[in-house]
Amino acid sequence: MSEVPTDPADALAAVVALRRLADRLEDAAVEQAMRAGWGWPKVAEALGVTRQAVYKKHAQRLIAAGVRLRRREG
Amino acid sequence: MSPFDEYLHAVIMRAHQEARDDGAERIEVQHLLLAVAAEPEPTVRELLESAGLDVDTIRGALDREFVQSLSAVGVASDAYDLPRPSRLPSRPKMGTTGKLALERGVFGTARKKDLRPAHLLLGILSAQAGVVPRALAIAGVDQEDLAARVRHTITEKD
Repeated sequence: MSEVPTDPADALAAVVALRRLADRLEDAAVEQAMRAGWGWPKVAEALGVTRQAVYKKHAQRLIAAGVRLRRREG
Repeated sequence: MSPFDEYLHAVIMRAHQEARDDGAERIEVQHLLLAVAAEPEPTVRELLESAGLDVDTIRGALDREFVQSLSAVGVASDAYDLPRPSRLPSRPKMGTTGKLALERGVFGTARKKDLRPAHLLLGILSAQAGVVPRALAIAGVDQEDLAARVRHTITEKD
């Protein structure tokens, strides 16, 4: 295990970078799941967030990217 | 619109694009920095070039900052071959660090009619912590020194 960086600037920058990486990973993973036919409720449950939250965050982007979204349960 | 308003508008439009390309929901100060470097405005460009900065060197430094910050906690950013994010169709909003740069450089200082493109650069260079100071250090830029030269340019032309 690596330890928390001793320089606060490095430790805080790592937080920012990890969030950015996680956001990118989330964008890619949600898109992948929806292309594979998952529905919003299942994606939301997998991420541990509400359906509304995941929809609000990703729907516009995926619709613009031409992903066919399922309306109902999945 | 005044020439400065036109400049600011053009920079924010570019920063929107940078944020979208980055998959970001908000325009942050690094997107503004990339935007002012890309905008063909001679004073700001010359100031940046005097420190060895242009769009490519800034982008490279930001990328390295990301990789270095992750590696400090044992994460290899190239461990994931992530696809480019699908772009948000809407315009990103101004984020906290982007707002700070605008407040410090543009809205908090000079009288409106005295505003020049260099004021915006000064606002960006006023960042005390975060991605931009770190990326500038990685690029070998003395941020204080560059900010002092920007201030000098502003007062010189008054």
